[in-house]
Amino acid sequence: MFRPALSLTGLAAVLGLVAFGAAAQTTAQPTAESVTRGGYVLRAAGCLSCHTDSKNKGQPLAGGRALPTPFGTFYPPNITPDKDTGIGGWTVEDLSRAMREGRAPDGRHYYPAFPYTSYTGMADQDVADLWAYLMAQPPVARANQPHELPLPFRFRALLGIWKAMYFEPGRFAGNPAKDATWNRGAYLVAALGHCGECHTPRGALGGMDGDRPLAGTAKGPQGKKVPNITPHAKEGIGDWRESDTTFFLKTGFFPDGDVAGGAMAEVIDDGTSHLNDADRAAIAAYLRDLPPLPGP
Amino acid sequence: MRKITLAIAASLLFGAASPAFAADEPENMIKYRKAVMSAIGGHTGAIAGVVKGEVSFVGHVEAHARGINEMSKLITQLFPTGTDNGAFKDTRALPAIWQDRAKFDAAAQALQDESAKLIEVAQGGDAGAIGAQLQNVGKACGSCHKPFRAEKK
Repeated sequence: MFRPALSLTGLAAVLGLVAFGAAAQTTAQPTAESVTRGGYVLRAAGCLSCHTDSKNKGQPLAGGRALPTPFGTFYPPNITPDKDTGIGGWTVEDLSRAMREGRAPDGRHYYPAFPYTSYTGMADQDVADLWAYLMAQPPVARANQPHELPLPFRFRALLGIWKAMYFEPGRFAGNPAKDATWNRGAYLVAALGHCGECHTPRGALGGMDGDRPLAGTAKGPQGKKVPNITPHAKEGIGDWRESDTTFFLKTGFFPDGDVAGGAMAEVIDDGTSHLNDADRAAIAAYLRDLPPLPGP
Repeated sequence: MRKITLAIAASLLFGAASPAFAADEPENMIKYRKAVMSAIGGHTGAIAGVVKGEVSFVGHVEAHARGINEMSKLITQLFPTGTDNGAFKDTRALPAIWQDRAKFDAAAQALQDESAKLIEVAQGGDAGAIGAQLQNVGKACGSCHKPFRAEKK
């Protein structure tokens, strides 16, 4: 199911070069199948929640929703295929470089509020399909809003340093010792679903703590507590069965009958409730197999 | 005649015609409200067990759906002014409830409507259809919790 990590591709990504396998697709018309698969990738990657200003009845994917973080307020951009205000002029390579290297077509660094730190693991096919889907959506003319960031975060050039410190580009490699379900779950959680962006604690400069994957944090990206989703018996979700997890990702119901609120409700509404049962089961199986960690 | 006059005066004074929650201690009010919410959660949790296939009591779902529906009719009475999480620490009820009461009441009505549909679907006995409607019930819960309930600390 997974391509082995191509070390050459990884190296090229590290060097900031674009070595995208599906380059030939730029000019080719995307197939209907690719568009359909891309719609699924969009759900699994949770693009809608941040790129749609639902609160102000914004058009899907047209951006503008305020994203308050400890580093300032971000306004995710318009990713509809509008030529002037959206990404209508983007090639599949542009999308690949944005999602997997955190760089705009003009070479500028993106702030990691855009979770390329996770998307970097995306498979070539998923990027190509997502591009096909995005280009097939109705274009919406809506100019991007500048982020509201205090000094020194306003200096985009500093992001190059941040990325050198915290960003590890590279495709999802998988674990050959584990079965296909586990690997699919790992890919969905770590790359597409970017679960760690909220559920993994971060250091002072916003780098994810690699020693505490998915162990939760007292102060998440929006300043609120984000739960530990490792199978730790007391502080994680060790008492959840896999069926509890899949049911939660489908419906938003906790095992005790309460419903998810806040950011997770959006993740479920816009994302995981649209996945197929096999993918939700893969996520549950993978989470179940994580090292149990205490905290936050 | 005098009795009737007294009764009217009393009802004007104490609001006896409407639920007399103003007279209840806010702490007790909050405790009661949480018990009602837990009752709803208990029923949805029980239905979830059926939908997940953990238990085979498909025939019980209607009773649980009725439980949710009955409780949902009480919700708007459970939030007297001043019982928000700013004034009391034992509640997650946000002041937004009283700032946009119409929206809050509409959200409570949505739970009544969706749980009424769940009763109908439950009578069909199809676990798949029950699961789908339970999802709509969950959305109704969420559409009220999202704007009106603080996240857990």
